[in-house]
This record gives sequence, C-alpha cells and structure tokens, in this order.
Amino acid sequence: MTERALVSRATMEIATALATGAAGAAVMWGSIEHDIGWGDSGPAAGYFPFRIGALIVLGSLANLGFALWGRHEHSVFVTAEQGKRVLAFALPILGFVIVSLFLGMYLGTILYLFFVMVFQGGYGPIRALALGIAVAVAMRLIFPLWFKVPLLIGPLEAWLGLY
Amino acid sequence: MDNLGSLFHGFGVALTWYHVALMLVGVLLGILVGVLPGLGAPNGVTILMPLTFTMDPVSAIILLTSMYWGALFGGSTTSILFNIPGEPSSVATTFDGHPMAKQGQAVEALSFAFLSAGFGALVGVIVITVLSGWVTRFALRFSSPEYFAVYFLAFASFIGLAGANPVKTLVSILLGFAFATVGMDTISGSLRLTFGFDELLRGISFLIVVIGLFGIGELLLTMEEGLKFEGVKAKVSLSGVLATLARLPRYWVALIRGSLVGVWMGITPGGPTAASFMSYGLAKRFSRRRANFGKGEPEGVIAPETADHGAGTAAMLPMLALGIPGSATAAVMMGGLMIWGLNPGPMLFIERPDFVWGLIASMYLGNVVAVVLVLATVPLFAAILRIPFAIIGPVIVVVCFIGAWTVGASKPDLWFAFFFGLVGYVFKKLDYPVAPLVLALVIGDKAEDAFRQSMLMSQGSLRIFYENPLVGTITTLAILLVTWPLWAMLIERVWGVRTARVQPVDLE
Repeated sequence: MTERALVSRATMEIATALATGAAGAAVMWGSIEHDIGWGDSGPAAGYFPFRIGALIVLGSLANLGFALWGRHEHSVFVTAEQGKRVLAFALPILGFVIVSLFLGMYLGTILYLFFVMVFQGGYGPIRALALGIAVAVAMRLIFPLWFKVPLLIGPLEAWLGLY
Repeated sequence: MDNLGSLFHGFGVALTWYHVALMLVGVLLGILVGVLPGLGAPNGVTILMPLTFTMDPVSAIILLTSMYWGALFGGSTTSILFNIPGEPSSVATTFDGHPMAKQGQAVEALSFAFLSAGFGALVGVIVITVLSGWVTRFALRFSSPEYFAVYFLAFASFIGLAGANPVKTLVSILLGFAFATVGMDTISGSLRLTFGFDELLRGISFLIVVIGLFGIGELLLTMEEGLKFEGVKAKVSLSGVLATLARLPRYWVALIRGSLVGVWMGITPGGPTAASFMSYGLAKRFSRRRANFGKGEPEGVIAPETADHGAGTAAMLPMLALGIPGSATAAVMMGGLMIWGLNPGPMLFIERPDFVWGLIASMYLGNVVAVVLVLATVPLFAAILRIPFAIIGPVIVVVCFIGAWTVGASKPDLWFAFFFGLVGYVFKKLDYPVAPLVLALVIGDKAEDAFRQSMLMSQGSLRIFYENPLVGTITTLAILLVTWPLWAMLIERVWGVRTARVQPVDLE
C-alpha cells in the first residue's frame, strides 16, 4: 500500500469498539428503568436487555483490547482517494434524505438525480432533468397508483392535490 | 409417502396462471437485483416486501422466493462477464468464471454456472421435500426450552463455524438482539429502550436495518472502489447451452459435493456465501484438475454455484419447520411471514399446508423458470450494466429509500436507513459479519420469549436446558460450538495441528 491512508484500520477498529461499547452501555442504562431481576411472572422486562447490554460491553472491550494490543500490520481503513469517493456519494444521499423530508420524495428524487448527474456524472442539465422526472413519474405510477402505497409527499404535491 | 401427496397438492396451488406470472415477474426482478451491485437478494426482497402486505400470503411468498432465486442467478452473470460479483455469494464464481469468459468461453461459463446452480437448487428442494415431514414431526416435540436451545445453537454455529472473528460475530449478534428489544415488550407490555423518543415506540424494523446494512452500505463499498464495468460480450445460443449440458455429467463429483455442502450450510445457518467458498475450497483441494483452478476451470464454476443455490433453497427448511432462517434473505422472508400473520414453525405445516406445499412446489418450478430466463436474458442484463454507475447508483439509492418509506410511512425510518448504511459500510470493512445481526433482530423477540417461558417453567433454574436428552443434546452442541474457537486454539497448541477454517467471509 503506497497510497496515503486517510484513516488507519487500527483507528477505526478502536472507534468502532468504543461505539459498540457505548451502544451496549446505553442498552444497560435503558433497561435499568425496568426491573432487571426477577418479577412475579419470571424474568422481568429489563432482565434480558440488561444482560445483552452487559455482554455487548464485554465483547466491545475485548475488541478494543485486540485493536490496542493485538498484532496488526499497518493496514489502511480508507485511503484519501477512497474517502473522497465515499463522501462524494454519501453526502448527496444525506442531502436527498433532508430534502425528501421537507419537500417530499418526488422532488427530492428529481433534485438528487439532477445534482449527481450534472455535478458528478458530467451530464447535460436537460438529460439529467429528464431522467429525474422519468424516475419520479415511474415512482408515481408504480407505488401510489398501481400498488396503492403512497409515498412521502411535500407541500407542492399537497398544493397540486396529489396524494 | 404422504410428503409426495402433499407436494402434488402444492403443485395444484402453485400452477395457476397468476402464480406462474408472479414467478416470472419475481425471477426477472430478482435477476435485475442480482445483477446490480448494491442491490442484493436480502435488500431486494426487503424493498419488495411492503408491496406484498396486501397480497395473499401464498402469492406473496411465491413472488418473494422467485425473486430470491433470480437474484442468486443474476449475481453469477456479473461475476462471469464483468468479474464483479453482483451478490456476495457469487464472489467465488469470479475465480474461474471470469478467466473462462476472457478466454472466449463466456457462453460455456454462463451455461455451466446456471445449469449447475439449477442442479444445486433442485437437490435443495428435494431435500426439503423429503425431510420436511420428519423435521416437523421432530419439532412438534419442542417446547420453550428446546426452542431456546435451538436458537442458541443457530447463533453458536455462527460464532463457531463462520470463520469470522468470533468476538466481532458475538457483538454483531448481540446488537441485533438489543435492537429487537426496542419498543413494546410482548410479555409485560412495558416500553423498553425508547429513551423517551416516540419514534422508537414501534421498535426498529428489520426491514429498515436490512435496507441500510445491505443496500446503502453495499453501495458505499462499491463506490469506494470506483468500479468500472468492462465486460466480456457473450451471445448465448441454444446449441452452446445444449453442448455444455452434455458435458455437465462429467463433473458429477463436483455437482454432488457442491450440492451436499450447500444443503448442509443452508440448513445450519451458514448461508450461501460461506457455502460457495467452502465448496470452491474443497474442490480446489481434491479435484484432479486442481492445477487449473483460478485459470478458467469449469469445475471451479460448478463447485461454488451448486453450493450457493443448494444453500439458498435449503435455507427455507429450517425457516419453515423451526422458525430459524438459514440465511439473511430467509430471515427477511421469515419476518414477512410473521407480518402476514403466519407463524413459522412445525404448526405451519399442519395449519397451512396449502402455503407450505405451494411454496415448496413453486421452488421446483421457480428454479426451472429461473434457469431458462437467466440464460435468455444475459444480453439484456449485460446491457443494463453498461449504463454508467453515475446514473445507476443514485437510482438504486432512491429505490432503497422508497423501500424504507413504504415499510411504515414514517420519517425517522429514512434516517435509520441512512444510519444503518454507514454502520454497514464500517462493519463490512472491519469484518463484523452483518447477517447474524439481521437474524438476531428477526428472531430476537421469539428467543427472548422462549427463554422467559423456560424460566417460568423452571422457576428460574437454568437446569431446564438439561432436563431431557433432547434439549440437553442441543444445549451441549451449542456450548461446544460457541466455545469452538477456544477448542481450536487448544488443539493447535497441544497437537500442533492446524484446524481447518473456512475463509473469513461475510455471510450473505
């Protein structure tokens, strides 16, 4: 590996072990709101989750130990080049989710496809818009009209009277 | 043979125009899903699932399982022509399939792959037909402790046999169980682990988790590699297929070995991915032509393909008869069964024979349909892959989020799908297996109920898991498997023997 590492594998192993450990701790913390012992009708509501959470914490500690003191070659989690590609793909998705929540999925889809095709794919705006609209029309035909499953709509659709 | 009678009854259910049409649609959608990287079988079935909620369960399961078969086949097309596995379970097919295609034997490679896959699937279905009666009768003797022991065994085999890091597998399983406990507790009715968020009251849907882990996560991995499709062109002709079919019996050893490995890995929850790797590894070790492996040896295509499909079909047996899914896709379908109001397990065979045997009969037909369709549509789907990924990728993203929305029409689900996409990306890169997480999420509630009912029966004594020979044997096996990594280490230390380990692969 001659490529520059953006994040090393060891760093990511540690971060992940900490994250799963935190999730385990949260599960334990959430379950002590309930009885974690023995109720009138056998194991109470918190019994199972509390022990699951504790085991997650233990497993995460073991993974943390392996990551800190285990043998590991200096391997790469993600190189700068890969990191750029992943972010270039993930950030527009994030944008798509946010726009969809406010403007509905049809507009979200059109804007998202337009954006990625024009700014990342290098397509002309007309083609990008056409594809976005085509996908939105297909969505409308397949989901609400054919299968009677409504999609998330925004103020525009409501104003146009589309469900 | 009352099974045979039931099977004929099943054919009566499956052989209607409507159901055959559903099979065709399912297989075609499945091939599409299998061909496209980032859209795999578990994720494809998940996205289609909400559309089946209003359908009759028999029709719904025929549609979804046909999609599964199609996806298993479609994954091999891309492996052979493009050297890019469309499915994790067709990774092993690239080793010899793509070299064959590059040497101008693309048609042979594809025909070998699909025909042997069809053979493996057929063996899987025959095993289900023969064994299901016996397994259900056996399972009818189960009560809560036995069920908990079997669940425990299923997860123990992930830790002991999967070949992935056992501690990471354990954490993955436990996270699945923890997510399963979120929301309303079925026994006491109290709300657990919602942390005051109303959004969590309904719990975390396994469908959303699958869309995130298998869909978005897989896409992020695909993008990271900056892949380019530079495929080999293939024209499939009937004479070419028939010539390959005539050569197929020569590879009978690989066919039978692959099917057996596949069926075994499908019934024990190893899944198709592990099965295909194991079968390829075995073939490479024992074949007379092992020197050619990796350079375009037909046996190197046949071995993983038979096992892949044998496992895919056989995974239905423990799902139907015991309520334990043998692969991630089977887990999703089992979740679907419960949503349709069916309770997987031995009683399903007694209460809904039309459902069970209709499904089994449709598996015979669906796989034959799939072999024919996948051979006929190779050029079409190869053309789809020539569409630049800058267009395909985002369209798949949109489809994934539509799927996430249709699950429950809830806005936070979109965030969950995105979040689990990031989790899936990180987990896959760090070799945390994600399939056990999904399995634990689907059967988490059932496992907890089984445990709590056992504890009620025994007034809190763990000895109930050794109360009779049946539950005792299962529990002992499970404990052996869970601690297998330790035993393997001990054996290595004491005798200096290296224990065989399967390649560390993520289980589909």
